[in-house]
Amino acid sequence: MSRIEVRSLSKQFGARSAVEGLDFEVGEGEVFGLLGPNGAGKTTTVRMLTGLLRPSSGGATVCGVPLDGDGEALRSRVGLLTEQPGLYDRLTARENLRFFLKLHHRDTAEAWDSARRWMQRFGLAGREDEPCGTFSKGMRQKLALIRALLHEPQALFLDEPTSGLDPESARSVREAVGELAAGGRTVVLCSHNMAEVERLCGRIAVVKGRLLAVGTVPELRRQTGVVEIHVEGTAGAAGEALGSLVPPCVWVAERHSLRVTLAGGVSIPDVVALLAQARVRIHAVLPAQRALEDVYLELTRGAETEAT
Amino acid sequence: MTFRLHRALAVSWKEALDLRKNPGLLASMLALPAVLVLVPTGVVWAWLRHPDEISFRAMALFYEPNLPRAVDPVRFMIDKLVVDWFGIFLLMPVFVPILISSQSVAGEKERRTLEPLLASPVSASELVLGKSLASVVPAVVITWLSFAAFVGAVDAVAWPVVHAPVLPNGMWLFGVGLVAPLFAFLGNGLAVLVSARVGEARLAQQLSALVVLPLMGLVGGQLAGWIRAGTGYYAVLGLVVLVLDVVLVWASVRLFDRERLVSRWS
Repeated sequence: MSRIEVRSLSKQFGARSAVEGLDFEVGEGEVFGLLGPNGAGKTTTVRMLTGLLRPSSGGATVCGVPLDGDGEALRSRVGLLTEQPGLYDRLTARENLRFFLKLHHRDTAEAWDSARRWMQRFGLAGREDEPCGTFSKGMRQKLALIRALLHEPQALFLDEPTSGLDPESARSVREAVGELAAGGRTVVLCSHNMAEVERLCGRIAVVKGRLLAVGTVPELRRQTGVVEIHVEGTAGAAGEALGSLVPPCVWVAERHSLRVTLAGGVSIPDVVALLAQARVRIHAVLPAQRALEDVYLELTRGAETEAT
Repeated sequence: MTFRLHRALAVSWKEALDLRKNPGLLASMLALPAVLVLVPTGVVWAWLRHPDEISFRAMALFYEPNLPRAVDPVRFMIDKLVVDWFGIFLLMPVFVPILISSQSVAGEKERRTLEPLLASPVSASELVLGKSLASVVPAVVITWLSFAAFVGAVDAVAWPVVHAPVLPNGMWLFGVGLVAPLFAFLGNGLAVLVSARVGEARLAQQLSALVVLPLMGLVGGQLAGWIRAGTGYYAVLGLVVLVLDVVLVWASVRLFDRERLVSRWS
């Protein structure tokens, strides 16, 4: 069942279009990655989905609440970790958390038990009564994450949750995200850390003003259309046979392996037919095993090329 | 959207905590009351050290050419001073909220705490009320305490000569009880409004503080003898400020629009 349904979501600031026609769905218990370069509209999208900005057109339903519906209900069902922790420096960790619990009308013993467990888990136990201004960047980030979780939101929006954390803390945050999803929470994760996104996210949307691709990591790899063709003899010579492809495709040869990036309209059978015509003996045609980073860069660069 | 008092009170609670832990701001808040109590007390004390009746009568006749001979010019001048001083005293309930609200609203932008706050269920009106309570209540309390201190100090200094309490009088009780809170709302409303438009607490303070200029002008008019201050005068002033307060509250709630604040300042 979808907890977040985004339909043709667009946002304009004056004449500038920040987000255009986004469409995706995120299910219960799913960790969904939102990838895109700086200025791609990720933060704007998250701000719209958390009720901070009004869409210019299109819409979305988050936790059963339409964006143009009850903003208070929406904001009480979502949790947001912003890129900057945004803590009150003069207030202690406990006072910072208590303030937000009061705003959510949840300043209860149960909520404090939960807060204590999270603080223990993130290594903040014993620091509850220290002013946040004395905390390190990592501690602030972890406290901000606890603040986003305390009112038990159904959907969590995390902007760079492990930014500034040491490896051990980053791992504990990643494990917590996994557990939250396993417990039925929906998590939308904005990050530039590809390894983290690949490890945590079931599906990923790549955005750059508009939606470039959405799917699981294997699906994204397929969408970007890079195939690895194992041939007999030198792959370089085989690659020469692809010169007549229209539109032209980029290929890279390495010993007996040819990596071909399929340009729009060119399919795998077209490539295979051309190679066969040139009497190249093909041993295997496989979707290329590439890092998510390569897929991401290809998608975003492709969008740049289209734009120019 | 439903208005929830508990959320407005939560905002006030946070602001009060933050204020308590800000010694610089507390010192600025207390400096002005100290000056506003000590200066007029010092003037009365200086006058009464040499209560030369001829000089006092000359001064009194400047303000009241038809002053009856039976009226004690010393008492007249002391009464005149405390009545006029109320115009200056009103700077306190205006200025203290400006100090607090500029920090609490523009400070949220400076410290990048605005976005998490706006992502909570709190509404614009709850935020404005919460932040306003946190600045108006201390301002009014400080004003009342300063008034009590002023009454004690002036009476202590004047008693040996006038042998009667100078304060409290009806005008001061009316002014401190009713007009001063209205002025506190004015200072707060202006600071909230300006803070919602600018990004720095210091700039918000400087711009909001310009409101003291017309007040100073009115006091100047009183001292020059062009304006005769009294309960009626301060009541009219209070009514004008009440209208301004209503306009400012309306404008503040409108300006506390999430979209506008987030897209401009987060």
